[in-house]
Amino acid sequence: MDLEALKTRFYELVAPSLPNEWDVEEALAALATENTDQLDNILSQVPAIWPVSHSLCFAYLAAAGPALHCLAPEELSLWVHTLLDRYETTGLHGAQVFMNEGQQHFVRHLRGQGGLRLIEVRSRLQPYVNGLAGTELPLIASDRAYTDTECIFLPHEIGLFAGNEENFLLYKLMVSFQWATIRRGTFTVPRFFSPSESAIHPLEQLFADFAVPANARCLYHFFETGRVLSFLKDELPGLMRQSLALLPRLPISADTAAAPNLLDRLQQGLLRGILSAADHSETENRAWALLQRCQGRGADNQVSLDAVRELTLLLSGDEDFLTTKPLVFQGPLRLQEVWSAQLKRRQERELRFIKALTIHVQQAALRKTADKTDDQDGPKIAASQQGADLALVVETEHQPQAKSQPQPLTSLRIDNQEVALSEELTELAEQIRQDLGVLPEDYISSAAGKAGQGFSAIHPASPADGLGVSAPVVYDEWDYRRKGFRKNWCVVTEREMPTVQTAFIEQTLQQYKGQIRRLRHQFELLQTNEHFVRRQRDGNDIDLDALVESLADIHAGRPPSDRLFIRLAREQRDIAVYFLVDMSNSTAGWVGQSIKEALVLICEAMEVLNDRYGIYGFSGMRRLRCELFPVKRLDERYSTVVRQRIAAIGPKEYTRMAPAIRHMTSLFAEVEAKVRLLIILSDGKPEDYDDYKGEYAIEDTRHALLEAKAKGIHPFCITIDRQAHEYMAHMYGEVNSIFIDEVGRLPARMPEIYRTLTT
Amino acid sequence: MPGRQLRIDEYRIEQEPYYLPTGEEVAIAEAAYREGVPLLLKGPTGCGKTRFIQYLAWRLQRPLITVSCHDDLSTSDLVGRYLIRSGEAVWTDGPLTMAVRSGAICYLDEIVEARKDTTVVIHPLADDRRQLPIEKRGELLTAPSEFMLAVSYNPGYQSVLKDLKASTRQRFIALSFDYPIPEKETEIVCKEGGLGVEVARPLVKLAAMTRTLKDSGLAEGASTRLLIQAGKLITRGIPVPTACRAAISEALTDDQELLAALDEMVSSLF
Repeated sequence: MDLEALKTRFYELVAPSLPNEWDVEEALAALATENTDQLDNILSQVPAIWPVSHSLCFAYLAAAGPALHCLAPEELSLWVHTLLDRYETTGLHGAQVFMNEGQQHFVRHLRGQGGLRLIEVRSRLQPYVNGLAGTELPLIASDRAYTDTECIFLPHEIGLFAGNEENFLLYKLMVSFQWATIRRGTFTVPRFFSPSESAIHPLEQLFADFAVPANARCLYHFFETGRVLSFLKDELPGLMRQSLALLPRLPISADTAAAPNLLDRLQQGLLRGILSAADHSETENRAWALLQRCQGRGADNQVSLDAVRELTLLLSGDEDFLTTKPLVFQGPLRLQEVWSAQLKRRQERELRFIKALTIHVQQAALRKTADKTDDQDGPKIAASQQGADLALVVETEHQPQAKSQPQPLTSLRIDNQEVALSEELTELAEQIRQDLGVLPEDYISSAAGKAGQGFSAIHPASPADGLGVSAPVVYDEWDYRRKGFRKNWCVVTEREMPTVQTAFIEQTLQQYKGQIRRLRHQFELLQTNEHFVRRQRDGNDIDLDALVESLADIHAGRPPSDRLFIRLAREQRDIAVYFLVDMSNSTAGWVGQSIKEALVLICEAMEVLNDRYGIYGFSGMRRLRCELFPVKRLDERYSTVVRQRIAAIGPKEYTRMAPAIRHMTSLFAEVEAKVRLLIILSDGKPEDYDDYKGEYAIEDTRHALLEAKAKGIHPFCITIDRQAHEYMAHMYGEVNSIFIDEVGRLPARMPEIYRTLTT
Repeated sequence: MPGRQLRIDEYRIEQEPYYLPTGEEVAIAEAAYREGVPLLLKGPTGCGKTRFIQYLAWRLQRPLITVSCHDDLSTSDLVGRYLIRSGEAVWTDGPLTMAVRSGAICYLDEIVEARKDTTVVIHPLADDRRQLPIEKRGELLTAPSEFMLAVSYNPGYQSVLKDLKASTRQRFIALSFDYPIPEKETEIVCKEGGLGVEVARPLVKLAAMTRTLKDSGLAEGASTRLLIQAGKLITRGIPVPTACRAAISEALTDDQELLAALDEMVSSLF
C-alpha cells in the first residue's frame, strides 16, 4: 500500500482529530513495506491507542512492524493491551522500553517459558510480609532486591531456576530477608551518635572515616547479612530449612572472579559452608571468627561495626570489595534511601504533630472562651494573642526526669498555661521523642504560633461554591475498544454542597401536601413488619382457638392437632439506599425542578421508614474533575440543612456517570445492609467535555453498573427524557431502569417506584 | 420422665477448668459477685471469655447456665412458657428463670445478637432491684444473693445495627478481654493443646502475624481457641502444616490468595 493511501486510512481511523501531517508520514513510513494483512492487523489497534496518547500511537506504529516479526498475528492485541497497561503505569518512557526490548520477553512469557514474575506472586507475598511486619510494607518492583525501610523492592522477575517453585522460594527468601534487616536494625543509627539532622546517614559518615569507605560498607553489609540470616534461622526455621538446598546454588561473584578476594571467599563460606581449603590465611580465620560473633544471640549492628573495624586493620591496602556483587537476596545497601525515608517520616510526623497541636490548642482556647461568661478580664488566652511572643514554651514533664525514665508526655506548658494532650498527641510526641531523643521546642512554638494566628486556619470561610473538598479518590475507567481498564483514570472529589434559603421547600410541601400525607401512610404500612402467625408448633403464646378446637377433637375422639401456639414473626427491613442525582447542565429548567421536588417528596416519605438513605449529586468536567455533592450522607438526619442543600441542587457541568457510580459502589462497601439499592436519576446519555461520549461513555457506564451488581448492589435508573432510547436497555439492563417522559409526573412516580422496589 | 428439664445440679462444674489469669479479672469478678452487680465480658472471639466464666462458676461453686443468643431469641425463650402436656397447660421455666430461682450464674453469650426487645427483660435483673417479672404467671421473682448475670459480646465485628443500648450497657461492670501476651498464650497452648513449647511458640507467632492482617482482608486474626485446636490435631499425629491449614487458615478465610499467604507463613515458621 502506498503512503498516501495509508495516510488516508489513518486519518479515517483517528477522525475527527487532525494530527500533524509530518508526524503521520514519519510514523507510517515504517509500515509502507508491510503486507496488507499485517497492515490491517496493525491499524486495527489504532482506535484503541489513539485516544489514550497520540505520541504513544506514533511510537506504536513505528514499533508494531518489528514486533510482528516475533509475534503471531493474533498475539498483537494482547501485546497492545500490555503496552497500554505499561503506558498507564510507567508513562511513555516505560511503554517505549517495553516496545524496544519487550517482544522477546513478552513472547517468552506468553508461551510460558519465562521465569516467575513479581506480579504473579505479589498477591501471595504481600499479606505474608504484612503479617511478618505487623504493618503494611509494600512490595515494589525494581531491578534488584533491597529496602528503604518503608517498602521492599524486588526484581520484576526471577528466572534463576528452572522450576518456578524454587524461584518463588527465592522471592520469599528475599522478602523475609529484607524484612529481617529492618527488624534487626541493620539501618539503626549506632547508640553513640547523637541524633542529627544531617543529610547523610550516620552509618555512611562512619564508613567515611575508614581508609576505603566502600570496603567498610561492603564488609558491614556482609556481617549484617550473617547476623540477619542467623536471626531468620531462629525466627523462621521452616523457611531456612527449605532454603538450605537453595542457598548453595545461588550465583556469587566467586564463581566468575579470576582471583576471589576475601569477601568473595567469605560469601562462599556463608552460602556454601565451605571455606576455600587452600589457604586459611590469618585474616580469613579472623573474619570467620568475627562472623560467628555477629551471629551470636543478642548481637546488634554495633557488633558488626566493631567487626568491620577489627578486620579492616588486618586487610592489605589493595583489596577492592566493590568487584564483589552483593548476594541476590541481599541486594545493595542503599543507606541514602533509608535515610531519606526516615527524614520523610520525621517531617511528616513533625507536620502532623504541629497540625494536631494547633487544632488542639485552638479548641482548648475555644472551650475556655465559651466557659468565661461575659468578659471578666478579656479572653486572655493563647490563641487570641499574636503568635510570636507566646512561643515561650516549656516541656513540663520531660525535663526534670531526663532520659533515664521517659514518661509519656501528657501535658505541655504553652504560654504559662497547662494544656492537656489528647491520646493521639501523646502518642505522636512519644514517637518523636523516640526518634530524636527530645521533643523539639520549635515544634510546639510553631503550633502555638499557628494557633495564635486565629481560627481561619481550621475554619475556612466558605464562599458560595463547593469548598471543603475531601481527599480525591481515583477510579479506573472501562475502555470497550481494548476490553480493559484505563488505570487510575478518573479523579472523584466530594465537594461540600452550599445551602440556600429559598421558598422552594415550603412551596413544594404546600403544593404536594395531600400527596405527602398519603405517601406517609403508604410508607408506614411498609414499616409494619410484625405479624402473628397462628397455629404453630411452638411460639410465644397459646393459640386459644386452636386449643379449644383440639380439646373438642379429643372429646370427639379425633386426633388433636399439636399446632397450638401463636408466634410473633418479624421481618427485618434492612435496606440502605443511595439516590444519585444528575446535576449536569442539561437538567436546567423543568427537569431539575422536578428532580428536586421528587427528592423532597421521597425524603418526607422516607422519614416514616427506618431505611437508611443518602442523596448525592454528581457533575464535573473531564476525567480529573469528577465531582460528587453529598446532599445527605447515609446516616445524616433529614434536617433543615439537608433541605437547604436539596434546594441548592442546580445544573452544573457534564454527565460523567460511571465514576460517580463507582464512587457510590465504594461508599456502599462500608454499609452493612441486606438490600443495598442505588437509584440513579438522570436526564439522558452520559457525556463529558473530553471524548467521553457515545458508545464509549455508554459502555463505561454499563460496566460501572455491572461492577456495582457484582458487589451486591442493586442499581436502578430513572431516566427523564422525551422519548425512550435503545441504548438505555443495554446500558442499564432491561429490568433495571424506567423511563419517564412527562417530567411533571416524576415527583409522584418516584416514591411509588421506591415502594415497588423494596417490597 | 420424657422431656424432663435438666436438674440444676447438672449445671454444676465439678472439675476446675483450666484458666490462666492475665490481670485482675478474677478479683474484679468476685467482687462484682459479692456486690450483686452483673458482668459484661467483651473481647474478640476465642480469647477466653467463656472459659473465664466457667472458671468463675467453679471458683464460686455456682451452677452455670449458658444461653447463646441469636436474633430469633424471644423473651419466652429466656423467661419460660406454657407448654401443653396431656391436655393441660404446664408452665416451664426458661433458663434465666431457672438460674434466678436456684441462684446460679446465667451467662448470655453474644448478647448483641439478641433482639433489642429481648435484652430489655434483663434490665430489672441487672440493677439493684434484682427482680425478674414473669408476666404470664403474674409472678415477680427476686434473685437470691447467689445469682449472678453475665453477658458477653465481641466489639470487633459489630455493626451499627448490633450495638448494645446505652441503658443496657450501663448496668454492668465491664471486663475487657484480649489475646494473652505471647508468653502466656504459649503456656495456654502448651497446656490445652498438649504441645511442647517448641511447637507452641511458633503457633503463637503465627497467630500474632494473622492478627495484623486486618488491612489485607482478614477480619479477625487467629484466636487462642484456634491455636489450641491446631495443637490438638498436632498432638494426634497430624503433620504441622496440615494441622495449621485445617485448624487455622481454612477457619479464618476462604480467600485463595490469603490462604496461600497463610500457608507461606506456616511453612516459614515450622
